[in-house]
Amino acid sequence: MDWHPPATLDLAVSARETLTMASFAAIRGKEEALREAIRAGYGAELPYHAARVAGVGITFVWAGPNQWLAVAERENGRDLEAELKEQLAGIASVVDQSDGRVVVRISGPRARDVLAKGVPIDLHPRAFKPGDVAITHASHIGIILWQTDDAPTYEAALFRSYADSFAHWLFESAAEYASTR
Amino acid sequence: MATADRRGNGRQPNRLETGGLIDRSLTLHFTFDGKTYVGHPGDTLASALLANGVRLTGRSFKYHRPRGILSAGSEEPNALVELRAGARREPNTKATVAELFDGLAAASQNRWPSLAFDLMSVNSLLSPIFVAGFYYKTFMWPAALWEKLYEPLIRRAAGLGRASDDSDPDTYEKATAFADVLVIGAGPTGLAAAQAAARTSARVILVDENAALGGRAIDDVAEIGGNPSHEWVKIVEAELDRNPEVRVLRRTTAFGCYDGSTYGAVERVSDHLARPGPGVPRQRLWRLVAKQVVLATGATERPLVFGNNDRPGVMLAGAVRTYINRFGVVPGRRVVVFTNNDYGATTVTDLTNAGAEVVALVDSRPQPTAEVQRLADTTGVRLISGVVTGALGRQTVSGARIRAHGGDTVELTCDLIAVSGGWNPNIQLTTHLGGRPVWDDRLCAFLPGALPPRMSVAGAAAGDLILDKSLAGGIAAGSAAATESGHKAVAVPVPASTAESDAITPLWRVAEPDGKAFVDQQNDVTAKDIELAEREGFRAVEHLKRYTTLGMATDQGRTANVNALAIMAEITGRSIPETGCTVARPPYTPVALGALAGHHRAKSFKPTRLPPSYRWAKEQGAVFVETGLWLRPSYFPRPGERDWLETVSREVTTVRNAVGICDVSTLGKVDIQGPDAATFLDRIYMNGLKTLAVGKARYGGMLREDGILMDDGTVARFGESHYFITTTTANAVKVVQHMEYCAQWLWPELDVQIVSATEQWAQYAVAGPKSRALLQKVVDPTFDISDAGFPYLGIGEITVGGIKARLFRLSFSGERAYEIGVPARYGDALIRRLMEAGAEFGVCAYGTEALGVMRIEKGHISGPELNGTTTPRDVGLGGMVSTKKDFVGHVLGKRPGLVDPDRPALIGFRPVDRSARLRSGAHFIARNATPTAENDEGYMTSVAYSPSNGHWIGLGLLKRGPERIGEIVRAVDPVRGADTLVEVVSPVFVDPEGGRVRG
Repeated sequence: MDWHPPATLDLAVSARETLTMASFAAIRGKEEALREAIRAGYGAELPYHAARVAGVGITFVWAGPNQWLAVAERENGRDLEAELKEQLAGIASVVDQSDGRVVVRISGPRARDVLAKGVPIDLHPRAFKPGDVAITHASHIGIILWQTDDAPTYEAALFRSYADSFAHWLFESAAEYASTR
Repeated sequence: MATADRRGNGRQPNRLETGGLIDRSLTLHFTFDGKTYVGHPGDTLASALLANGVRLTGRSFKYHRPRGILSAGSEEPNALVELRAGARREPNTKATVAELFDGLAAASQNRWPSLAFDLMSVNSLLSPIFVAGFYYKTFMWPAALWEKLYEPLIRRAAGLGRASDDSDPDTYEKATAFADVLVIGAGPTGLAAAQAAARTSARVILVDENAALGGRAIDDVAEIGGNPSHEWVKIVEAELDRNPEVRVLRRTTAFGCYDGSTYGAVERVSDHLARPGPGVPRQRLWRLVAKQVVLATGATERPLVFGNNDRPGVMLAGAVRTYINRFGVVPGRRVVVFTNNDYGATTVTDLTNAGAEVVALVDSRPQPTAEVQRLADTTGVRLISGVVTGALGRQTVSGARIRAHGGDTVELTCDLIAVSGGWNPNIQLTTHLGGRPVWDDRLCAFLPGALPPRMSVAGAAAGDLILDKSLAGGIAAGSAAATESGHKAVAVPVPASTAESDAITPLWRVAEPDGKAFVDQQNDVTAKDIELAEREGFRAVEHLKRYTTLGMATDQGRTANVNALAIMAEITGRSIPETGCTVARPPYTPVALGALAGHHRAKSFKPTRLPPSYRWAKEQGAVFVETGLWLRPSYFPRPGERDWLETVSREVTTVRNAVGICDVSTLGKVDIQGPDAATFLDRIYMNGLKTLAVGKARYGGMLREDGILMDDGTVARFGESHYFITTTTANAVKVVQHMEYCAQWLWPELDVQIVSATEQWAQYAVAGPKSRALLQKVVDPTFDISDAGFPYLGIGEITVGGIKARLFRLSFSGERAYEIGVPARYGDALIRRLMEAGAEFGVCAYGTEALGVMRIEKGHISGPELNGTTTPRDVGLGGMVSTKKDFVGHVLGKRPGLVDPDRPALIGFRPVDRSARLRSGAHFIARNATPTAENDEGYMTSVAYSPSNGHWIGLGLLKRGPERIGEIVRAVDPVRGADTLVEVVSPVFVDPEGGRVRG
């Protein structure tokens, strides 16, 4: 991906290149066992709705009924697929997504203005807060979107092959703010 | 701000010394038809032209009559101009809404050779034949002449300006915004509504089509809350701008009302500038989603219908006030005011205050109202109870002929006739979802009927023309909308305002007019045309509209429609409600296609997906092809190769003799897990999969419910309950959708988890006799990939340089071949490693072209055969279909039509003359039959030049094809004029025994 974000103090764009991710879904009848395993292993309560929760050294993003995306830093060769397959053996199906999706971080006072140019959902602080998740699209590209803080900072997970098109849209949409300061 | 100088005002004969919201300290230069004029920031092109004494701005559509400026807003039917030059040239812009900037170049339209001397105005003399319906009558026969003669002729004669032929240099974008309360229109009503809603802390969006907020609070002289109304606007505007929950969109037209309380609006971000700033779009298309909407769109003044009422110098009374009060321009020095209502009569005061002489106030009502009498008394203006029967003057108004009710006729010299026929509430947005307007006899106007969900209407749009009613209505609507959207009401007092009167007595047309009396000025429809329509039976409003074209111009007949149907009602002796009315469709005003496209044009029309080897392939000079959204290497030309065929043949030959590498990451990949995964796949695929062993792959096909082949690919089994399937590139999404549907809806009892993994893996086909030798250098040595350890159709999890990877022994080319997958981020590294390792074996990269040639050489099906009409049997896969199980498509696949032995079936072809070229799409005709549709026996689906055979080969669907090997048929291609004798042969052109794939 070519990253030439426009220089502006009001907007910071970066790709999170060092993540390990895996999606997992409960095997029939093991939903409670799965929740207990995540509770015991990571100290997190898997959300029932479109939300993102933090555990110890990991976050869980709701990805559909009984499906979640686990996200963590890829430190010391950490591989969430292998880790979760071990932790959740017999209670969940685990699939590596570390490379399937890229995660783009968009942060700063102009973040909402830029996202409004392609994301059709309401990101006003009264409607969407840190911890909220939306499965939506940006400029015709499917994304999983979540907010991490009130800067505001958003992260969009999108399929890797769309990264250049996404960046092109994002930077073109941000271009008018490049000259604001 | 555009560059501007301080050289002074120039000569602007009609500019007032003071007043208005323009900045006289800055002078802007602009040209109209090549002549230079000056104006000020805050001007529109129309106000600046009027300030400079320019009246004639264009010629009319049909009769080429001289036309000037009728209005001061987006309802303008006449003053359409061509703006700017070069790539930014745009036709049909209303001078009344085009904001002035320094260097603006505008030109009149519809005149030849010049505006003042227009040769086409001879049409006016021919007007008896240009009456309503003349297109239908004159150009009916012969039809062939339409395209060749009539239409070009009419278009040249009529043509409303020229668009630029160059590509638009500006950018456009689309955005979405949400609100608790959306207020459309920022006149007194809208401002009051927005203020009331915002004070509850609701999220408010306020849109107005003008650059300046205020509507009639800046167009008229009045008092609101003890301040001049334009000062009150500033106070409210400042309050709204300070509130972080309020978004004020200026220069923004809400043009359409859609389902889900969604509104389309276009913001003219940079139209008022010579060119947009860096990174700034020209226009922005807004999708506004609101919990509640307050429509405060005001009203549009109606012209009066009298003789030569289209002469430059006949102007709406409200527009006259706007030019005086907002722009500091007095559009005439000697004025006749002609009105049928009290509100129009007040224009006398504005004119008098601006130093103009009002020579007469002509009130069409039998008795002047007290309000009008008082006005006449205080200003001393001559009050005539009567009508203006005609405007005098050729190119501009030089006088008015007035007929008093007693019958006396008088001609008065004047240069401006200010007219008011009453007001039409701007209710267009209330009708976009099907609401029908309701006639109001007191106001003589249509009011909103049933409203779209969550909309309320206030102010003049709701029929409250009087200022204090507008303000009260705005506050009430704004408060109610905020409360409805979940906010606690805050009491907002209604400010005191100037007393007004909206008394009116209708005058739909002046009897016995002196000259043509226009109803629709943009489409040149007169009162007589309406009479003609009635005589010829086109009495229904929809017929009237289509027969006369009334209301069908770019202004949607905003100044014409009500007058027209009232005249029709008069002629037919029906009431206006009985006559009915037309309703508006979006857009309220024209919207540029660029704004509707936004970011999505040229290469950004749709997203592009780049495969993992894209960067490397680009470095190699690959030629790319779009396959769906993907951009895939088509072939990799090398220096000295003359054409694509030479390149592709070299790539094929290299694979068949050594080894080649192709990026197949675009194939759909789906990870399927769960205790019931095996059962699930067995029901999805047409062939048996239960016997597929762990560590093995198998080719599989799936059908649609109707028995037609849907997709093919491979199924690999990594564990007892873990499968990994591939789909064709084109069907990747569809197959996952189909599987999800089956899992969630058809068989919810099956425990299966489906995850798309297409993007997780970068996958390369390594094909050719040397493929294993190459891979042995790349795959970590702990893994045995010998033929014994890794036979054909074997699969396994391996590592490459310590990275987890997958190896599949699959072949599409017919050669010994593998597919190797690594996590996508390593895709670029792996292609480089593979090419480096293969150098000693003479490796080459190959693209989709060579891939296609090799699959045709092997008789494998692809898109052209998997075309949504073929059954497994049609494409030679009949033997794969299981008879021992049920699966999707099984039952309907047995329908007689689908198992008819006469159906065209897949077979191979080669030209009898081996040097002949084959064409896909050619139809098969028996050797001695005539090439007609009834003799059609099928068609060629895929062709290729086969380097392995040294001639063209083809696959095709031929009636009973497999039974006809050895027969010679014609391949007829009328499109490209080919008729080639071809021999029916086996569809496998290379290694028919299939020994090579096993090594």
